[in-house]
Amino acid sequence: MKTFFKIAVGAALGASFYATSVSAQDPIRTIHLLSRPQAAQPAEFQAIQLIAQEWRKLGLDVEVDVMPWSQMANAVWYNRDDWDVTAWQMTGRPERSDPDEIIYNLFHSSTADKGYNFIGYNNPEYDKLVEEQRVTVDPEKRQKLVIEAQKMLDADQPNMMLVHPQQAFAFDKTVFDPATVVDQSGIGIRSYWTWLSLAPTGEQKDVIVNSSDNVIAVNPLYISGVTDNWLTELIYDRLYRVGPDGLPTPWAAEGHEWRDEKTIAVTLRDGLKFHDGNPVTAEDVVFSYQATTGGEAPMYAPFGQNITNIEIEGDNVIVFTLATPSASFLTSSLAKINIIPKHVWEPILADLSSKEENAESHQEEMPIGSGAYKFVRWLPNEEIVLEANADHFNAPKADRFILRIVPNAEAALGMLRSGELNFLTDFQGDPQVLITAADEDGDLQVVSTVDIGFRYVAFNLRRPPFDDPAFRRALSSAVDRRLIVNAAFKKFAVPSNSVVSPALEYWHAADVVDGFKAGPDVAKSILEEAGYGGVGERLAYPEGVSETLGK
Amino acid sequence: MNSLKPLLIRTLQLALVLWAVVTILFLMFRLMPGSPLAAYIDPTFTEEQQEALIRQFGLDKPLWQQYFTYLVNLLKGELGYSFRYRAPVAERIWLLLPNTLILTFSSLIVAYVFGILAGAWLAWRRGSRVEVAALPVVLATRAMPEFWLGMVLLAIFSFSLGWFPAGGTRSAGTEYSSLWALYTSADFLSHLALPMLTLAIYSQGLPLLLMRSNMLDVMKEDFVTMAKVKGLSSYAVVVRHGARNALLPVVTSFAIAVGYQLQGNVVVESVFSWPGLGRELVAAVLASDYPLAQGAFLMIAIVVIAMNLIADLLYTFLDPRISHA
Repeated sequence: MKTFFKIAVGAALGASFYATSVSAQDPIRTIHLLSRPQAAQPAEFQAIQLIAQEWRKLGLDVEVDVMPWSQMANAVWYNRDDWDVTAWQMTGRPERSDPDEIIYNLFHSSTADKGYNFIGYNNPEYDKLVEEQRVTVDPEKRQKLVIEAQKMLDADQPNMMLVHPQQAFAFDKTVFDPATVVDQSGIGIRSYWTWLSLAPTGEQKDVIVNSSDNVIAVNPLYISGVTDNWLTELIYDRLYRVGPDGLPTPWAAEGHEWRDEKTIAVTLRDGLKFHDGNPVTAEDVVFSYQATTGGEAPMYAPFGQNITNIEIEGDNVIVFTLATPSASFLTSSLAKINIIPKHVWEPILADLSSKEENAESHQEEMPIGSGAYKFVRWLPNEEIVLEANADHFNAPKADRFILRIVPNAEAALGMLRSGELNFLTDFQGDPQVLITAADEDGDLQVVSTVDIGFRYVAFNLRRPPFDDPAFRRALSSAVDRRLIVNAAFKKFAVPSNSVVSPALEYWHAADVVDGFKAGPDVAKSILEEAGYGGVGERLAYPEGVSETLGK
Repeated sequence: MNSLKPLLIRTLQLALVLWAVVTILFLMFRLMPGSPLAAYIDPTFTEEQQEALIRQFGLDKPLWQQYFTYLVNLLKGELGYSFRYRAPVAERIWLLLPNTLILTFSSLIVAYVFGILAGAWLAWRRGSRVEVAALPVVLATRAMPEFWLGMVLLAIFSFSLGWFPAGGTRSAGTEYSSLWALYTSADFLSHLALPMLTLAIYSQGLPLLLMRSNMLDVMKEDFVTMAKVKGLSSYAVVVRHGARNALLPVVTSFAIAVGYQLQGNVVVESVFSWPGLGRELVAAVLASDYPLAQGAFLMIAIVVIAMNLIADLLYTFLDPRISHA
């Protein structure tokens, strides 16, 4: 017993001697890495475990803290100085087909305090670059700037980009002609364009789709949720739409003309009618745009903010004057703002202006738009029924669009097979399960598409050691993204090193992704070169830098 | 006057319980980590918008003031505005409550009719092979998690055999002229079948076991022996003398079971996509929609408390020997 004690003491002394000899440099504190729970976000959770494991190999002391989204949002978004590293995601949406929202809002220093630059990235050179692309209306010049911005982000690695997920959706090919399904770039087959062109081949003329989320509102002035947006984009027309190729295309407008870099004239299409029979006039369009900035529709305000004046010329030309030139105006404003009937909303907004509530709390009994589908009825938390608007200039081929609320993913798949659903638009389960089920069934077709959205690990650049680009690059290159794609995303993702998805072919910088080298050895050599100590054992700051943030 | 006093005391006690429930609910959601603004985090979401939302939700005021407003509004019968739906909480609850009630009561009625009959029968067949085989089965149904049972029923009767639809209260896109037309349609009943069966299988154990053990006690009583001695038929002995007396606690347990059932609904409604209050409750908690979650919980608490009161009153009514004096 005594000898054992002596050996133990000797070993402990030896270890401590060894430790002090290594760390003439100050060791880096325990780093807390945040992730959402496995039950809610299995792929994220798995990816974070793998990343922590690779970082530990570098000698970093990592602790993974698991918490639900609302708690994580609190810890990261509302307490910007207090976190180290967190998993995060951006979801794909049609209006993000223009790279501006992502490359500007996520990294411009003006949004670091309270906006989306929660990581605190501050690079004046980068600021200048993204400000410039914003006002460069010439697409080719702008393309160069956008690619330049991606290169700068690659060099700085403010985020550790992981993957662009692939979303898988499925439909019954015995009900619909597969040739009429539209795979929108970066969005997938669950796209606006599919709901217009989808052609039934037999008795079943209804499109029956599913969502696991309840519909919160069907309101053209309230961005209430992803699912709700499927409905509003069908019920309401917009001047432009993001097309299947990801670029803006005229919709309720016949076309546009830039008169100078701050003035754009849009011609309204002839013969448009609201579902109540009234014509859609230029006044309705002007009213719709003014409604977004009138204070009653705060969530739409950012999309109308840049417009300083709107005028009508003749019967059907609407002239927008902008505060600053905007390259993304077609996508982020004209393809975003719903055209609403003035005769319905004018009295409503007038009534609301004297009340505390705004337009977001006004749910119409029967929403009236001019879109390709008309609202029929809404059974709360069960289903919403829309019917085809035969008078529309692009009338749908199907009779009705029925959205069923199905919170249980296994049940949704079973319902697709039994015919209770015929288009699976939301599947929260393992995509491989979906593919296996489709193979077994024979009637189902699965289509997966690379998303505009992405998953990443955000570093808090306000806190050392993450203020050092070399340190960030080392951590980022410690993990081979193919490992994340295969093990965490079960191959339903593509590796990423850029916030602009390869789905946005025109804007995506492919070299940045292909040229990114990763592996434990790459990471170790970057750390050693930058002067970090204890690589592979107990990672320590370079000489002269000491830990300022606790133990 | 004397008979009213205990009732008054009982009501006061319940009011106190309700106040405690209300307070705990209020604190529980606000002490829970996480922000109700989490759902709105978006690159286009500005600082002014965040502040406007906080004001609109009333979250800029100190906690005690929020609590006070909440209590005053409750006394006025107002449950507040849902953060997500931007609509009155009471409106949401009334929209969904009928679906929950019809599922709860249909399953409980099936469970109790079956449980009482089977319990009486098993008591009558005490010691037989049937009883030996049946009891473990009944205990097993009590132990099965409801979501698991629901998924098994779905896999068998919906996905393999195709006898019943898998979710909702009606087929996609069907319309009914009235609630009555809906509830009496074959379409609705076939949608109700599986969730109702899941809940019924889960809840039949309580009345069955209660009935059985009561029957065993009652059958030992003198008046039953007397009935047997009189030479009455087995039917008359078991049903008219035994079962009628054994039934009493079972009937009152029904009231309490309603409360338990409402909890079970949370799970079953999610499995079968049933548009009821339970699912709404889960969604509200996940979205930190405090007013809606509080309202839904409060509704369930009120039903449970009211059912307990009814159970108490039923006792005195059915068995005059019991009194509160």
